[in-house]
Amino acid sequence: MVFLAVFTPRESSQVSPDATLVHRFLQRDVSAFEELYDRHSRIVYALVLRILQQASTAEEVVQDIFLQLWRNAAQYDGSRGPFVPWLLTLARNRALDQLRLKSERQRRREDQTEELPPVTTVPDFEGSLDEKRRAMRVRELMASLNPQQKRAIELAYFEGLSHSEIANALEEPLGTVKSWIRNGLLRLRDGLRATS
Amino acid sequence: MNNSGAIHDKFRELVEAYALGSLDPEDRAAVAAHLASGCDECINALRESQWLVSQLAYLGPETGPSDMLRGRLLKTVREEAAAAKPQSLAVSPPAIPLWMWGAVAAVLLFAFYNAYEARSLQDKLRQMRGDLSAQIRLQEKSTQELELAKREALILIDPRSVKIEMPAGNKEFPALQATWHQELGIVVAGQKLPVPNGNRTLQLWLIPKTPGAKPVPSLTLRPDANGKFDLLVADPPDAMTATKALAITEEPDGGSPQPTSTPIWVGPIAGK
Repeated sequence: MVFLAVFTPRESSQVSPDATLVHRFLQRDVSAFEELYDRHSRIVYALVLRILQQASTAEEVVQDIFLQLWRNAAQYDGSRGPFVPWLLTLARNRALDQLRLKSERQRRREDQTEELPPVTTVPDFEGSLDEKRRAMRVRELMASLNPQQKRAIELAYFEGLSHSEIANALEEPLGTVKSWIRNGLLRLRDGLRATS
Repeated sequence: MNNSGAIHDKFRELVEAYALGSLDPEDRAAVAAHLASGCDECINALRESQWLVSQLAYLGPETGPSDMLRGRLLKTVREEAAAAKPQSLAVSPPAIPLWMWGAVAAVLLFAFYNAYEARSLQDKLRQMRGDLSAQIRLQEKSTQELELAKREALILIDPRSVKIEMPAGNKEFPALQATWHQELGIVVAGQKLPVPNGNRTLQLWLIPKTPGAKPVPSLTLRPDANGKFDLLVADPPDAMTATKALAITEEPDGGSPQPTSTPIWVGPIAGK
């Protein structure tokens, strides 16, 4: 497959820094849970806050996310993918659910967000970027997009809007919005690949 | 490109948006059906796209949750972990309510009490049975003694009985009086007899009329401490008609088959 082929395999044997920690966490090790929280609570909170736009509600949702993580640790299958993308997908779904409690859009996507996040396949460079570098790189890549293209992706990711809703919000043709989003994601993918 | 290839390419172009969750319902349902059909390329593309979409989280503000949230969350987790430990320990020894221990103790106490009572009753019953047996034996003995006394009295008063004087060879010894009834037996009685030394006793002999015949041994009796002697032979070993005299010797305890000493008392049976 083309997509996999273009990624370099040099990091394939590298063990994710979270791997041992997650293993301990799955054994109900409180100190491992504490360390995982310290490592990833900032990005989780930032994502949830960006979606909900309210600090107090964001903290409640973050608390729910990590408590769900603690109480249902077995829901994560470490053999099928890395922990952080899974956690971020879980956090986004929970935040969007919370957002939809006050929105008519809840019904449209509830079947997508009620389920647990799927396990993702991660390119080999996943483990090579630390949090700060990754954040910086993602922002740089997104900043390089057409502002409307960037806005379309943000509306989809942080507000859970569909192509049609985004087209209405931006007053742009549906086909254009679809292209913006797909091309923007592909540029982001290529940019992260190049960074590795 | 054939028709199926064109359809696949159409779905492949929608996979990123599907991972982002931005597809409208109709497109989303179509892509879901295509993925469910088992298209490996699109399934792999979806997994990669899901990772890619998760990277958008880094577009959030550069801020973190409050320390209060951390403290609150970790407090809850630690409490739940601490609560889970005793629970797991309590699995091997199942929790037994206090009232159940009390009930068990009461049942055991009641069982011990019952066992004690049963044993006491058994002891009492055993003692009563023993007492009853002793009473029965005493009664039987008394009845037997009464029968013997009656028999002895009948022997003594019946006119058909034969009186036999048994003077002692030693003039210092008192004489004995024997009374023989053909059917009821022989009674030999005396007072103030000398008590034999050691474990020796007095034995009655029937001296046969037949010349050369050996004395026939009968019962033995040792006088009491006052020298009283009262011997009843309910079933004499020989008939009065075949006996010419009665004799009493001193023999070892238990008697002898043949006299081992000279008779102390001898009473001939006269006239029969």
